[in-house]
Amino acid sequence: MKGNKEGLVGVFSYPEDLLSALKMAKKEGLRILTAYSPVKHEEISEALGKKSSMVRYFTLAGGILGILSGFGLGFYTSMQWNLIVSGKPVSPIPPYIIIAFEFCILIGVFFNLGAVLLFSRIPWFRLKNYYDPRFSEDRYGAVILCDEPEKEKVREILTKAGAEEVYDIAR
Amino acid sequence: MKSYTYKEIDEKIVSTLSPPTKGYFGIVALLILGLLTGGACWAYQIAVGLGAAGVMHPVAWGTYLINFVFWVGIAHSGTLISAILYLFRTPWRTPLARSAEAMTVFAVVTAGLFPFIHLGRVWIVYWIMPYPNQRNLWPNFQSPLVFDVIAISTYLTVSILFWYTGLIPDFAALRDRFKGIRKKIYGLFSLGWTGSSDQWRHHGWGYLLFAALATPLVISVHSVVSWDFALGIVPGWHSTIFAPYFVAGAIHSGLAMVLTLLIPMRRLLKLEDIISMYVLENVAKTIVFTGLIMGYSYATELFMAWYSGNLVERAVFDWRATGPYGFLFWVMIVCNSIVPLFFFLKRIRTSLAAMMIISILINIGMYYERYVIILSSVAHEFDPYSWGRYFGPTCVEFGILIGSFSLFFLLFVLFAKFIPTVSITELKEDQPMPVKRQAGEGRNER
Repeated sequence: MKGNKEGLVGVFSYPEDLLSALKMAKKEGLRILTAYSPVKHEEISEALGKKSSMVRYFTLAGGILGILSGFGLGFYTSMQWNLIVSGKPVSPIPPYIIIAFEFCILIGVFFNLGAVLLFSRIPWFRLKNYYDPRFSEDRYGAVILCDEPEKEKVREILTKAGAEEVYDIAR
Repeated sequence: MKSYTYKEIDEKIVSTLSPPTKGYFGIVALLILGLLTGGACWAYQIAVGLGAAGVMHPVAWGTYLINFVFWVGIAHSGTLISAILYLFRTPWRTPLARSAEAMTVFAVVTAGLFPFIHLGRVWIVYWIMPYPNQRNLWPNFQSPLVFDVIAISTYLTVSILFWYTGLIPDFAALRDRFKGIRKKIYGLFSLGWTGSSDQWRHHGWGYLLFAALATPLVISVHSVVSWDFALGIVPGWHSTIFAPYFVAGAIHSGLAMVLTLLIPMRRLLKLEDIISMYVLENVAKTIVFTGLIMGYSYATELFMAWYSGNLVERAVFDWRATGPYGFLFWVMIVCNSIVPLFFFLKRIRTSLAAMMIISILINIGMYYERYVIILSSVAHEFDPYSWGRYFGPTCVEFGILIGSFSLFFLLFVLFAKFIPTVSITELKEDQPMPVKRQAGEGRNER
């Protein structure tokens, strides 16, 4: 086995079985590494005790940085040629609102995507050996860390919850 | 929409990516030929100068600017469907969203070429970008043309990233379904996505925020395009209605293009059950709405020209309706604001042939709308001594027009064969969740 991880993976056909397995494992104080699903299920995140995401704060920071850079660029460049033309202000605010708006979206989006990649830990091209391709099709998976002596108990929990297959993460 | 199991969805979408037929290669070859025609015309124009196009005083913005506005407009409905309808949780969005987003990306790519083509010396296009240089020269950030450069570049970047973000889980599903080289390629684009609960959580938030940022962006982009015209004092352009009028027109033409592309695509890829009549009918209903906005905008423009008492403004609109561009003006009015009203009839909006004809007519009407707006105002400005007509379109401009349509359709045809045209993940999310105990309640029962 690569690394120090030891544990079992349960493959489920139904999200309700996966959820009950996660609840039972949590009740027993076992360490749940992750859960896989073919689509987004908020209940799974909730069962794992994770509700929100830090992504939104990064997006907000990117948006604010974008506004500042948009205005900054407009003011900086116009001040390089401090000449009054037709009695108009050298650095007017209204046109720079448009630049700041576009930069807000652009840099906000960069930060948003950057945060999604960062927190999702991708790109990571070597798939974990316990990942099963069925998880992207129609099966659900629970990865539970446990030592050798605990494995029998974990296997029992996963099977009782409705796992159609249980395998070792070091397969 | 019919219900499917998750497995059936995978099989259905994977089947659309089967090896192409001879007919497909024929279409690709034809489109490449069209693209080469456009490329050759552009090369000729670069060699001999901008005189190859019909732009000359007083009409200095010719078909290149018309094509630019037309293609940017086409892009808009894609973001409307993928972002705005996502925020509103519209039930008929999913089957359309992926193709509409692809259409957005390809339309912005095509549109983005036209300011380059319109430049006489394209090799110094980078002068418009803000970068430090020894003469301390900067673009004028108070100019609507610079707003446009920034808005379009932002729109292109955001559209591509939004599209790609939605595609990551689908690429992972394809990686797991295919073998050999396709597995490797899809695996590379999936970035190692596994569908873990953490990934779904962050991706869900990211996608929602993408939609929330893309929504005001799409409104801003065509508003900025309209200000290329409206911030000048040219009669017929200098109007506060331009931004909403352009945005509605953009969505109008984009929705029509969605129908034009999807009606043949759903048949060729056998996706009639997914991109169902219910979905197309809802697009048609939205077209009625945008068509009514177009009719209202045309009426407002004419009313303001008359009611303002501004003689020059009125003269321009009289000339538009009765002068040499009169025929195109009436084509525009009929195709954009009267033809879509036929979708009020259920029989029409549930007939594929009628939908296809109306969508093409709307696209013709929207092209001519840009033709009329862009060419007629500067051709009939304040002083009679500066009046004139557009000298084009020349053969070079026609060639480049053919090239632009070929590029757009080529990209779309390639997309339809290599990338899932319907989002696998979102389609699965729309299905009832797999259940085992309540027998007969969910289609996703195993």
